[in-house]
Amino acid sequence: MTAAPSTAPYARTAPPPGSAVARVVGATKVHGVGDTAVTALDDVTVAFPAGRFTAIMGPSGSGKSTLLHCVAGLDALTSGEAYIGDTPLSRLSDTQLTLLRRERIGFVFQAFNLVPTLTVRENVTLALDLAGARPDRDWLDTVIGTVGLGDRLHHRPAELSGGQQQRVAVARALASRPQIVFADEPTGNLDSRSGGEILGFMRRAVDELGQTVVMVTHDPLATAWTDAAVFLADGRVVDALDDPTPELVLDRVRTLGG
Amino acid sequence: MRRIALNGLWAHKRRLAGTFLSVFLGVAFLAGTLMLGDTLQRNFERLFGEVTAGTDAVVRSTTRIDDDAGPGQRAPIPASTLARVRAVDGVAAAEPSIEGRGTLIGADGRAVGRDGPPKLAGNWIADPRLNPYRLAEGRAPRTGDEVVVNRGAADDGGLRVGDEATVRTPEPVRVRIVGIATFGSSSGVGATTFTAFSTAGAARHVMKRPDAISSVVVRGEPGLSQAELVARLRPALGSGIEAIAGDRLAAERVDDIDQTFLDGLRTVLVAFAGLALLVGAFTIHNTFAIVAAQRARESALLRAVGATRRQVLGAALTETALLAAVASLAGLVGGIAIASALKAMFDAFGFALPAGGLEVSATSALIAVAAGVVVTLLAGLAPALAASRVPPLAALRDAALEGEEGGASVRQRRSLTALARGARAGGARAGGARAGRSRRRRPLTALVRGATALIAAPLPRLRGTVGTLARRNAIRSPRRTARAASALVVGVTVVTAITVVGFSLQRSLDDSAARSFDGDLAVTGGEFEDASLPPALARELAALPQVATAVGLGSGSARVDGRNGVYANADAAALSRLVDLDLRAGSLDALGRGALAVSADEAEQRGWRVGSPVAVVYPDGARATLRVGAVYGEEGIAGDVLLPRAAWERHAPQSADRTIFVSLAPGVGEAAGKAAVERVAERWGAPETQTRQEYVDAAGDGVRMVLSIVYVLLALAVVIALLGIANTLALATHERTRELGLLRAVGQTRGQLRATVRWEAVVIALLGTTGGIVLGLPIAFLLTRLGDAVGIETFAVPVAQLAIVLVVGGLAGVLAGVRPARRAARLDVLRAIAAE
Repeated sequence: MTAAPSTAPYARTAPPPGSAVARVVGATKVHGVGDTAVTALDDVTVAFPAGRFTAIMGPSGSGKSTLLHCVAGLDALTSGEAYIGDTPLSRLSDTQLTLLRRERIGFVFQAFNLVPTLTVRENVTLALDLAGARPDRDWLDTVIGTVGLGDRLHHRPAELSGGQQQRVAVARALASRPQIVFADEPTGNLDSRSGGEILGFMRRAVDELGQTVVMVTHDPLATAWTDAAVFLADGRVVDALDDPTPELVLDRVRTLGG
Repeated sequence: MRRIALNGLWAHKRRLAGTFLSVFLGVAFLAGTLMLGDTLQRNFERLFGEVTAGTDAVVRSTTRIDDDAGPGQRAPIPASTLARVRAVDGVAAAEPSIEGRGTLIGADGRAVGRDGPPKLAGNWIADPRLNPYRLAEGRAPRTGDEVVVNRGAADDGGLRVGDEATVRTPEPVRVRIVGIATFGSSSGVGATTFTAFSTAGAARHVMKRPDAISSVVVRGEPGLSQAELVARLRPALGSGIEAIAGDRLAAERVDDIDQTFLDGLRTVLVAFAGLALLVGAFTIHNTFAIVAAQRARESALLRAVGATRRQVLGAALTETALLAAVASLAGLVGGIAIASALKAMFDAFGFALPAGGLEVSATSALIAVAAGVVVTLLAGLAPALAASRVPPLAALRDAALEGEEGGASVRQRRSLTALARGARAGGARAGGARAGRSRRRRPLTALVRGATALIAAPLPRLRGTVGTLARRNAIRSPRRTARAASALVVGVTVVTAITVVGFSLQRSLDDSAARSFDGDLAVTGGEFEDASLPPALARELAALPQVATAVGLGSGSARVDGRNGVYANADAAALSRLVDLDLRAGSLDALGRGALAVSADEAEQRGWRVGSPVAVVYPDGARATLRVGAVYGEEGIAGDVLLPRAAWERHAPQSADRTIFVSLAPGVGEAAGKAAVERVAERWGAPETQTRQEYVDAAGDGVRMVLSIVYVLLALAVVIALLGIANTLALATHERTRELGLLRAVGQTRGQLRATVRWEAVVIALLGTTGGIVLGLPIAFLLTRLGDAVGIETFAVPVAQLAIVLVVGGLAGVLAGVRPARRAARLDVLRAIAAE
């Protein structure tokens, strides 16, 4: 599959490459109050450009998941602002945030990504169905074809392997043709072969379907699939790297004391 | 282990709240009904104690006429008895007492008290110490047309001292109200109305003869015991007259009311309380079962670190026992509120019960608490046993809480084995999935799954993804869904059975009325079929030019073949012109004074045939032997025995009609005829005039009223059943935290989440309701077959009412879903998806 024919039909909805699809400005997040207060994010400013696959790296407790949750509208910042496109999230009500997640964001979590009572196909179109929107059949076929699930559409999640479940999750995240996909340790529970498959699908989503993906991971090998990596430590952005290779990443991780 | 039990209770306090509530409500209802019984008993005792407080002895006839509910009606005694009693040594005072019925007509022209309480009339007893009533205003009656009425009746009728009014005894008597009396400090005996004439006035209007009185009330000399007084009175009395001590009289009346009213009421109320507890038991069992399943891992861990099976069982049982004890004791307290509410309900429905504070006997308290504890322990036993059987190995795996697996430990063990087998075969996951598919399906589970799926089938089309999710959630664990719905099934089964039986009875009565009533109009005394219409009314109606025939059907207390009861009386020949009695044998035309008519059922039971002799005691104490003159098939209107009016009139001082049947003269329209009849009836206290259709429709009204009370009582059982559903959903929501978090993350709004939970609740509620209706119908069918004897002739299914039950069931599901839905919607998305 070449990039040109599959990207072309969808390019009109994607923002111009390089502009920020999501960003945070001066993002600070403090958990708890008083003596027990913990600063998870400390004045972070970072942007995630369109059409790129970005990794957020950092050791446990570095704030990488918090950053993802805040920019994805799942959690609220203590101060600073998070934007999806040009929409500042702090001014949105719970319902508005929910609708924003449903229409403009795709999610892949580490585990428990699927609703056990729904079939694969129903899980994939879940966000669309909740919105009462008619799925774009061509796009859906493309997505399902990309992750290779065509023969499992009527299975229940319990009948799939962990790797297959995560593939459904990736398809689900892409199905509504979101502006951005957030993945939180999507390969954390998988063996390396299945993990590689998932990363490959996300890579193709960016290259062939023009999607934007932001992935939190602590795995240097996973980071190697991305276009750029942002390094967090103690709630601050400490480094950034374009076209990371496992060696480069490991090197940075070692320098940062992770 | 005790600490573990305590900690367990505390940790699961929210989940157990529903269980607590069901035990609490069940016990509260049971305690409340028992307390109501205690209270009524005490109040009646107090009441009759007051009535007879100053009376040391009563001289009365030995012949008792009425069966129940009546004020202990006896045959009258000669008025000359009074002089003989007064002559007895040791009698300080003796007064004649005349008791009977009298309906006071209020300022608005309608009967005071309407259809509700007994309406009594009698004489004002001059000696204040022998008279339970006290004059609050005005003075005692002196002439025959002066009366004292009790405060409650005066207030109700808008009557004051100096007003003119009418009292029907049953003939209308114009009276002037000269005084208003209180009963002790209260405005009356419950809602009973009492109109007191002078003794001469009562003899004329109530007893209707000067030479008879109802009884003599006697006060002894100071220092003379009641027993001694009675012993001295006895020799002075003629045959058929007895003397009874005042305290014995009070006890006798309490016994009467116990037998005729309280025992029945208690039985019915306790039956409903028992049902509430039974439904509660299902709810309790359900909750404990789910909690036990959720804690399978915890139990397994305890077992793994060395707790014996017995210790785990002990912990679970201790937890159950603690909950049982606390909830039952709380229920006892709640019972006080229930008792007050029940009393208010009976008042609202027109059964006036004597006032007074709540009374709680130790026995009742003990019964209620013991029942609560035992039911809870029984309901919690199986889940506790299940908890103790969780194998230690279960701690090592991710215990599946839901899904096809019901969560019961036996099943877990089985699936564990399957998992192990699958692992050995290589590929644990595939093996697990296969085990999932091939898992034994019980027929009941399959049935529940099928029924649930069917009920929820329209949901996806109605509500899209929300509907799909709700439907799948309801089906995913059929055992749990079944358990959640089971309590409602029990409740609705009873509702259905009672509704159908009631409807069948109503229909039978209506049908019977429709079949047999050939006239055009009916004038009725009221819902309770109190005979309060003066026979003169029928005569006056018959004289109207618009009326062809008017015939009264009377009723009153008598003894027939040794059995006291309320029996109908009429001029059978005239009655048969308007009411088709379905004559089977003999003739209705010439019963005269010496023959009665009986229903075919009664004749069969007693072995009577035309010509058989039947002993009758009339209200005035006269005895006669009548013969059976006719046997009829239609007992809906006349009942089992129809006494001849000609004889009745001579022996019943207050002979009155219950219903007057009217046929109109040729060419007179129904509306014109009704207007003419109403114009006459207006002057007689405005009894209700019904057209033929209205009369037929009203035949089953009594049933309708009883049904409405039954529904109120059943409502509690249904509320407890709903608690069970709410409970299950709250627990399910807790289990599905991650799933709900995921749904919220990918774009389910709070409203959609709430709707999902709510619709699942509706599906479960509809499953329970449908199950109850399906089970209730055959039960009702059997009951109507058995009910042939009480006049249920048809089996009729009230489709509309059952549809209402179904709709109410569904709406109740919405209600049950409110709290779990709200809790689910409050879920913190981030915490949910991060949850371990």
